[in-house]
Order: sequence, then structure tokens, then C-alpha cells
Amino acid sequence: MHTFSELELDALTEAFNLSLGEAAATFSAIVHEEIELSVPTIEILSRDALTERLTQGRPDSGNDRLCRINQRFNSADGFQTDALLLFPEHGSLEIVRRMLGDDTPVQHITELEQDALAEIGNIIINSCMASLANLFGTEIIGSLPSVQSRSAATLLDDRDADSVILVARISMNMAAHNLSGFVLFIMDVPSITSFMGQIRRLFRLPGHDDPAPAP
Amino acid sequence: MTGFHSLLADCVDIGLILLNREGRICLWNRWIEQRSSLDAARVVQLPLAEAFGAPIDPRLALVVRETLDFGWSARLSHALHPMPLPLFPPGCKQDERVKQAIDVIPVDVDGVRHCLLQIRDVTETVRREALLKQQARQLRSDLQRLSRAQVELQHSEMRFRELARQAPAGLFEADSHARCTFLNERCEQILGRSLPEVTDIPWLDLLPPGEQQRVRDSWRLAVASATRFAEEFVFIRPDDGSRRRMRAEAGPLRDELGRISGFIGTMVDVTEFHERAVLNEFRANHDSLTALLNRDRFDRHLCAAITGAAESGERVAVLFIDLDDFKQINDTHGHQAGDTVLKTIASRLRRTLRNEDRVARYGGDEFAVLLNGAHDRRALDGVIAKIKRVVALPINLGHCHVHICCSIGLAIYPDHGRDPATLLTHSDKSMYSAKRRHSDPQR
Repeated sequence: MHTFSELELDALTEAFNLSLGEAAATFSAIVHEEIELSVPTIEILSRDALTERLTQGRPDSGNDRLCRINQRFNSADGFQTDALLLFPEHGSLEIVRRMLGDDTPVQHITELEQDALAEIGNIIINSCMASLANLFGTEIIGSLPSVQSRSAATLLDDRDADSVILVARISMNMAAHNLSGFVLFIMDVPSITSFMGQIRRLFRLPGHDDPAPAP
Repeated sequence: MTGFHSLLADCVDIGLILLNREGRICLWNRWIEQRSSLDAARVVQLPLAEAFGAPIDPRLALVVRETLDFGWSARLSHALHPMPLPLFPPGCKQDERVKQAIDVIPVDVDGVRHCLLQIRDVTETVRREALLKQQARQLRSDLQRLSRAQVELQHSEMRFRELARQAPAGLFEADSHARCTFLNERCEQILGRSLPEVTDIPWLDLLPPGEQQRVRDSWRLAVASATRFAEEFVFIRPDDGSRRRMRAEAGPLRDELGRISGFIGTMVDVTEFHERAVLNEFRANHDSLTALLNRDRFDRHLCAAITGAAESGERVAVLFIDLDDFKQINDTHGHQAGDTVLKTIASRLRRTLRNEDRVARYGGDEFAVLLNGAHDRRALDGVIAKIKRVVALPINLGHCHVHICCSIGLAIYPDHGRDPATLLTHSDKSMYSAKRRHSDPQR
């Protein structure tokens, strides 16, 4: 299992924090309301460890569905990742309806609400990806977001068991509503190796191969 | 763009705008032409804002820039950006924009990044969802109303149950065949049976055979005419075999079609009430000590007898009986002894006379007798003599026997008068002269 040193995690947290700040500003402008995105906490987990984390401490999590907003990113140098944003379905529905000023008691998410949720995920994921692209100094092409709703236990069933996942835990605050979710970057082994190398090189952390140029 | 690509773009039911690296229009499909009223030829090579002749949504401008510069894709949902581009329904007046959702994606054209805008018309989706939400709101308010009604129903049912439990009267509900569907506790007590024991049999079958036909006829009449049922009947309690008198009253219940579905009403044990009424009536008409008719009742009988005799030509006799020296018995043996004497005399008079003759205690120690059909004077004299004999028999007071005589006065209708007062006065006078003869035999 690949791991990050504390320094590397700090560096990533700082990069994501900046971009999430901009995502929050974008939301606020759209809905004319103060929206806060928390400072993320970053870790690297295996698929199963993450599934366990998602279902942990919630015996009824089998029924508690999660909304999953998915985008695929490819870079010219072969780096590939799936970026996922996960929110509890009920909470995200509440936030979306709050944003739309609508309290209608429709039990399931409607098509238009799902579209709005896709846009919200799109803004957050794009902003996170922007910081990665910035760090790598490379161009990463992204697909359109797709939205799915699943139980936490089966959420990552379509991923390989040995996938390595960069997990950023964030929470979104809006007018007394608090929604906690995760931004995941799921990479295959070559991608994660290249990704770790990039990080070390960029932050001039011990272990990178290039001689460090003076800043 | 090749002609083939343009043709393809014109065939799809979605708006397509392709922007080149500089953000200038290089594809503008027919869908967009129809909704913007701008021909592709007029807008090619223009930036978006210039083509539409109006500033476009700033967020759209931003994501277009991001797509061209960084290769990101973006979705502008209708919910957060209702109508970003000035597009209007084809053939309609330009007053309301088409409701839109826009996807912005990077596309590679001959090795150069372009930006493709895919615009969807979501007007129908918006309409459908608005309808759905309106129905959901309606459903919620219906549900709230329903649950309020349910709560109210529960309350009123609870109220009814508690009232029924505490009611001093028996309450019952029965179908039109008189099969009980509800009995309160009191009614179960009265009938001496629980509801499950009587659900399959008409409650009328619980009555003694002699009462069933009458009450059943009355029930059937009430069902047929949809009127109130009210009956009094005798009922034998199954638990202790006691004979009770019941009064049942019930009003008809109707089903949703207005047909009689049954009756709801009360069942009250009126045994004591009935007994009291009988007793009261007896007391009103009878002397409490001797149980003979009282003076009022006797007078009414006399009036009726005179009226009857006047029509039929019959004769009516009135006897006035006064006990001689009754006061002396009272003084010597006490009032209780006096009462015993009065009761004994009353009983002897009753036994001596015919059933149809009326005997009354008229005053303290005065008795009156009304005899119908008194046309035979000799027979009358016989009756008077018989009375004197039975009165004169010894009376046992427990500690001794006493003897008492009586004086009897006679008056006959129509010989001595034609109205009660005259007859009574005559009889009274006649009695007193007899008494004088009795106390002073020399005269």
C-alpha cells in the first residue's frame, strides 16, 4: 500500500483547501447564499478499507443510500483517475432543495434535482482536479459528471479490490444544514505511482529523483 | 466543419454550438437556428455574446473558458441556471425563454481543442416535475387532513366507549334482524350474556316465549317503517332466574345508501320502576291499612255505577257501615288493636261480598259498600244481615278476643236519590238512625 508522509498530506491538503474555497465562492454566487466548504482531510485507502469506513458505525447503512457523482479524468502523460464525490442521499437532497428554495416532500430525487446535484459535484470535483493539474503542470481532460444513488456497501463494487484511492473528506455548510461527504480519486497502480512521484517532485520531498532546483 | 458533420448536427433534437480555440462559433445547428431565429451563416466566426447580441450568463462564459483552456467538462443544470441563453420556443412570440440545461465539453477537432455546448430543452421536464411536486403537496395536505380526521375519530370513538362504559343504561346496537353488534357492559349485565354469546341470535329470541311474538312484531314494524322501536317486556335473567321487566328503545341506523342497517338504543331494567308505579297506583286508590278502596276511588265507582244504572234502568245500593264503640277498643287495647280490628273487618267484608261489589274504608271506622243490580230488597236485607253477622264474630287480638257490632245504613238509586251526594247522605242518615236504635233498643 502506498502511503503519504505527513508533509505530503499537508501539501495536498493545502492545495485542495485553496480550490475548495473557490468552489464555495462559485456556489455562493450561483445561489446568492453563504456556502462554506470545510478544510479537507486527506488520506490514502484501499477500496475495502474505504467501504468499511463508509459503513462504519452505521448499522442501518445498508439502507442509507449515498449519492455518487462521477467524472473521469485523463492526462496526456497517461495519468488516469476517476473522481467521485459522495454524499448521503437524504442530506444532499435536502441541500439541493434548500438551494432551490423548495420543500416539496417528493421522496426520491427528481431529474432536475439530479442535474443540479451533478452540477454541484462538477464544481467541487473540477476545483479539486484544478489543484492537481496545477501541481502537476499538466492538462487533465475531464468528462461530464454522472449521478448514481447506491447503498454504501455496494458503492464501490464496480472498482478493483486493489484500487488505491486518494480520499479527501469535506463537509458543506449552508444555513444550518451540514452535509459531510468525500471526494475520492480512484487510480490504477501506474497512475498512483506517477501521482506520488509528481507530489514528491513538486514539494521537493525526500525520495524524488530530480535534483531540486532552487525556488 | 464538413457538410456531413453539419448535416448530422442538424438532425439531432438537441442544441449544438461548437466554439473554436478562440471561442468563436464554428457550428450552429438547426435546433439553435430555430430557437434563436439566427441563421448559422450570420453567426459563424462570432463570439457567443456577439452572436446573440446580448451578454450571456457569466457562469456559462467561465466554463466555456475553462473547457477551452484546461479541457474540463461542466454541466449547467436548469435548477441553478434556468435559462442561460436567449433561446425561444420555435414559432412562438419571443417572451419566454426555453428552459435549458447545458453541458459544456472539450472536443478535439483536427488536433485542436474546441468547446462543444450541448443545450437541452427541459421545458417538458420542468412542467412534469412541477406537476409532480404539486401532487406531492396535495398528497401531503390530504394526508395531514386525513390523519387529523383519524385522530378526531379516535377521540370520538374513545369518548363514545367511555360514555358507553359509564352509562347507567344498557346500550345496544343490532342489525335489522335484531342480531346484536354492540353491547355495553351494562347491557351485558342486564341480558346476563356477553356480546360473543349473542352475536348470532336475534336478541328477541332471549325473551320468554309468551313475549316473543308481540315484541318481534313491534321490531318488524319499526324496521319496515324505519321508525323508533319502543317496547316493555318481561325478561328472565339467565344467571339468577329472576323475572325482570325491561324497556327497550331504539332508533334506526342507515347505511350509505339510506337503507335501514340496524338500530341503536337503550335497554333499561324497569322492574322496580314498574313495581313502584303499580304500588303508587294502588296507594292512590286504596286505603293503606285495610287495602280496601279509599273514599275517592269509591266515589268515582259510585258515579260510574249511577251513570251505568241510569242507562240500563238498574238499581244500585249503597251501604254505610259504622263500627259501634270502636273508640272503646282503641282506648282499652291501644291503636294497634284498633288497626287489627279494622283490618279483620275489612277482610271479612271482602270475603262476604261478591267480587264485583265495591268495598271501601270511607273514614276512621266507617266502611261503604256499593252493590250493583240491587233490585231485590229481600236479597239486600240478606246481605245486610250477613255483614252484621260476620262483623260480630269475635276478633283475636293475640292476648284476648273482642266483639264489635256495626250499624248499617242503606240508600238505593233511584229510590233515595239520583246523585252520589244525595245517596251518600241518605245512607249516612239511615246508618245513624240504625245506630240510635241499636244503642237505645227501647225507642
